[in-house]
Amino acid sequence: MNLKFIGTFTWYYGIRSIKRGPSYIISSILYPLVFLFLITIFSAGKYIDYAVIGGFISIVSMNAIYSGSDMAFQRLQLRTQDLFVATGIGPADYMLAMGLSYLASSLPGLAVYAVIGILLGIFGIASTLAFIVLLLAVLLGTMAISFTIFGFIKHVRNIWGIAGIVSILLTVLPPTFYPYTILPKALLYVFMISPITSVAMLAQGAFGLAPMAYYAIPVLIIEIIIFSLIGIKLMRWREK
Amino acid sequence: MIEIKRLDKRYSDGNHALKGISFDIDKRLTTVIGRNGAGKTTLMRILSTQLLQSSGTVRIDGLDNITEAKEIRKRIVSIPQEASPIGYLTPMEHLKMYLCARGMSLGDSTIEASRALKELELWHARDTPSDMLSGGMKRKIFVAMALAANADTIFLDEPTTGLDPLSRIEVWSAIKMLRGNIVLTTHYMEEAAELSEDVIMVESGKVLARGTVGSLLKRFKGMARAETSSKNAKSKYVIGNTRITYIKLSEAEKYAKEGYVIKPITLDDLFIMQGVDIES
Repeated sequence: MNLKFIGTFTWYYGIRSIKRGPSYIISSILYPLVFLFLITIFSAGKYIDYAVIGGFISIVSMNAIYSGSDMAFQRLQLRTQDLFVATGIGPADYMLAMGLSYLASSLPGLAVYAVIGILLGIFGIASTLAFIVLLLAVLLGTMAISFTIFGFIKHVRNIWGIAGIVSILLTVLPPTFYPYTILPKALLYVFMISPITSVAMLAQGAFGLAPMAYYAIPVLIIEIIIFSLIGIKLMRWREK
Repeated sequence: MIEIKRLDKRYSDGNHALKGISFDIDKRLTTVIGRNGAGKTTLMRILSTQLLQSSGTVRIDGLDNITEAKEIRKRIVSIPQEASPIGYLTPMEHLKMYLCARGMSLGDSTIEASRALKELELWHARDTPSDMLSGGMKRKIFVAMALAANADTIFLDEPTTGLDPLSRIEVWSAIKMLRGNIVLTTHYMEEAAELSEDVIMVESGKVLARGTVGSLLKRFKGMARAETSSKNAKSKYVIGNTRITYIKLSEAEKYAKEGYVIKPITLDDLFIMQGVDIES
């Protein structure tokens, strides 16, 4: 693993880019804030905690999805991947560097949500620690699923449309912004194909908003491992 | 030294891009010249360990491109065709990131990146996001990466495609500053003539001809190209509406009076004479 490369890439592409492209950061914050607003209005404040927790998950997972789409863009349009293949770094280095860069891009959004969460008094020490672990899990899981999906893309013109579809299907449909308990069991199990569902279920359990679904833990771990392996395999690092 | 033996590449869609080509590359600057789809990029991607061949062998400094790819990557730099810098990042950031990917320390990467940017006159733009730079300067970022890396062998795949004439000259002068052996592809004949000691002409996955620019053009000594769009003109070679005839220089005046446009011989004429995809 080339930590120097991962570090410089994350610093330059993830952190320094924030001030050069603030519109992207604002758009990634705005999207869950709109949900927070709508959910608060329609539920008369009843589901505001779900919306805040869901906002965190949504920001991290949406950025993880866009890291996969950006990687496809860099492979197909900028030829960045070809440039790096001949340097000796491996696909895992590049994936991790890209994922961490997008995590860095998530930081301003997470800060906004942290302030909202503190103002609402929803954070306890144990639940917050558990939530940080879950956010890292959702980052890894969504990155893996995103790299898997975008590994199939062969034309630049499809990247952004598919990124939009994937982000809606993975971050809005699953119970990120609403209690997982209101979903019919069969539908919940279908949604659990996405690691975001498992993380949302566990986060709602950790904050005492819904019963703790312990069975989601092994599901989440297995999903992260399987999607990571498929994502690296499909990355076509050195093409045949 | 690069040794290529019976190199063959057939893609899964059936495209037979390289058809068992064999040659060695041992000059300071070798140009692989050919039209779009000739197999140049496939060749470069195999040589720079980005793509696996279907059969045949490639050895770079004695190292096999399949089993010893990791060792080869320490010795080469490969700049892909149509590579573009990441718009958010500055030239300095690109170079440091690239050098760190090659295993250089952060301190050394800063020194080498600064040196290369100064040498290529990109220093003044070192902290400018690259989406604000001109096309020529964007391409020079990649040449600077190659310069800073101090690699033994550098592969440049169509480094000036799409650039305006002035930017091309700017990139050519940057390429001339590179150390190590360079293998460059292009479909610009004048680029091969300007830069290289050795020219390899490829078409449809095969090598058509090879030599110095002078030796390849030897057969045209004392000749010129006469072009006309007249449909009644007798010509051996027809490209679109243009009819081409090769004439002795002494006949140039006579042909000019008949309405032909007389042009000096260039490497283009080698392709025309080979009858590449031309009605003859």
